[in-house]
Amino acid sequence: MNNIALGRYLPLNTYTHHLDPRYKILGMLLLMVSVFLPAGFIGYGIIGAFVLLALVLTKIKLKMIVKSMKPLLFMLSFLMVINLLVIRTGYVVFSFNGFTIYSDALFQTLYIAIRLTLMIIITTLLTVSTKPLDLTLGIEDLLSPFKKVGFPAHEVAMMISIALRFIPTLIDETNRIMKAQASRGVDLKEGTFKEKIMAILSLIVPLFVSSFQRAEELADAMEARGYIVAAPRTRYKQLKPTYRDALMMVAVLALLGTVIWLSL
Amino acid sequence: MPIAFEKVNYQYAPNTPFAYEALKNIDLAFELGKITAIIGPTGSGKSTLVQHLNALLLPSKGTVLVLDRTITHTDKPKELKSLRKRVGLVFQFPEYQLFEETILKDVMFGPLNFKVDEATAKVQALDALKMVGLDESFAEKSPLDISGGQKRRVAIAGILAINPDVLVLDEPTAGLDPQGSKAMMELFVRLNKDHGKTILVVTHDMEHVINYCDNVVVMAEGEVLTHQLVGDYFERKQQIESIKMNLPQLLAFKEALIAGGFDLNTPMRTLDDLADAIAMELSR
Ligand SMILES: Nc1ncnc2c1ncn2[C@@H]1O[C@H](COP(=O)(O)OP(=O)(O)OP(=O)(O)O)[C@@H](O)[C@H]1O
Ligand SMILES: [Mg+2]
Repeated sequence: MNNIALGRYLPLNTYTHHLDPRYKILGMLLLMVSVFLPAGFIGYGIIGAFVLLALVLTKIKLKMIVKSMKPLLFMLSFLMVINLLVIRTGYVVFSFNGFTIYSDALFQTLYIAIRLTLMIIITTLLTVSTKPLDLTLGIEDLLSPFKKVGFPAHEVAMMISIALRFIPTLIDETNRIMKAQASRGVDLKEGTFKEKIMAILSLIVPLFVSSFQRAEELADAMEARGYIVAAPRTRYKQLKPTYRDALMMVAVLALLGTVIWLSL
Repeated sequence: MPIAFEKVNYQYAPNTPFAYEALKNIDLAFELGKITAIIGPTGSGKSTLVQHLNALLLPSKGTVLVLDRTITHTDKPKELKSLRKRVGLVFQFPEYQLFEETILKDVMFGPLNFKVDEATAKVQALDALKMVGLDESFAEKSPLDISGGQKRRVAIAGILAINPDVLVLDEPTAGLDPQGSKAMMELFVRLNKDHGKTILVVTHDMEHVINYCDNVVVMAEGEVLTHQLVGDYFERKQQIESIKMNLPQLLAFKEALIAGGFDLNTPMRTLDDLADAIAMELSR
């Protein structure tokens, strides 16, 4: 459960925290684009340096990132095996008893590993430094041009913010139910297959029941306070970009430009 | 065989910005065969404390001794199941743990997990249901279609059916009607007197403490303020008010009488004690 700490909002007071969520999201999207451009190792070096700087500015410890990458190792080694078996181009790096490893297979795996790592760090940067509520405000604003073609930007943002809001609640609830059932002798690690099925049921059924209950209660509470879908509404919190956002956008655009130039 | 905390600290979310020390240097020994109340304001760490008793939480520092087990931060006792068989823990708002198709099956779930055979489990489950005041007509109902108070009873029956030696209850009567909560407390007293069970009960209700409990542990801000006999504890009015708890009605009434000029200095626990004291005073 500790891995969930990654990506959770940390109430700090840093440069990144003070950025306007709309520009932060845009900046993140541009960074993601640059990660997927074929700019070679030099390109990744530049993006890596940029991301590292951002990590320092956001005061995220590298240790935390490394810890959260551990679950990925399994996926990467799986990818590696598949790549090694499937990709048969490039020069031969290693050959043994008719089993050959090609250079492209290694590079491909390395690229994927680098991309995944960068992607995770970039999204973490955003979620760690932005309150879920601000995040949805940002998303809503960015989606609002699509309102003209009938896209329910506000409703989508509301749904996202409710979903985000309930993630910690669900985690707490799961923990609580797990403990309560453990007190009744449930052991998720041991036991026969049938016992394990029962153990999982004893967790999932109460979780569903309480989630539905919560959803209903929330809907009632929203209606009681006069929430009407699609009603025009004003906003308490006004987003205003500052020089920080301009600086960040310039830096990100410069990076993207460099990476595009490198990959030409 | 003791139930004791030795220099126990507990921290939630250690090594994160959210770290919170919920228990601070707890030294505490519970008497076996007694009913002990654990009281204290919200957030004082009562629920955190009781979850150490069946090793749902392991102390961050210090040692918890439960029956023949020693629980510390590093050595998680193997075979937790046998500990949980002997120490039954009923959570705060336990009704969300119900999941089976029928109430009977749900109550049998615990005993079956502890490898009791089907027939015995059924007998124990029906017994437990009767104890909490639900007759056999409930057995085949769905646990999701009954009232909140009835769900609470089913959940408590689910632990009673396991027949633990030590019963730990986290606010078992919160949200029950007065009759129901009285019946519940009387059940715990019966289990204690007739079956020798050790009972630890977290409660906010001072009436329950004075009427049913032998000892009282008072917690505040993660520390144990005092651990005394109930009779002794209620002799000191300031102590109670210092933790923002109300005096039990009986004692509030006694205080009012004293303020009005009565001379009532004998310790008292029941209405009868008070009546006798007043009668004495009047006949003088
Ligand atoms: N899962 C958790 N993560 C972080 N902090 C927690 C967690 N559970 C409890 N706490 C904190 O630990 C402190 C003690 O909580 P605990 O639930 O033990 O209090 P309590 O005495 O049982 O209160 P109540 O009377 O409201 O049930 C509280 O301040 C609470 O905020
Ligand atoms: Mg509690």
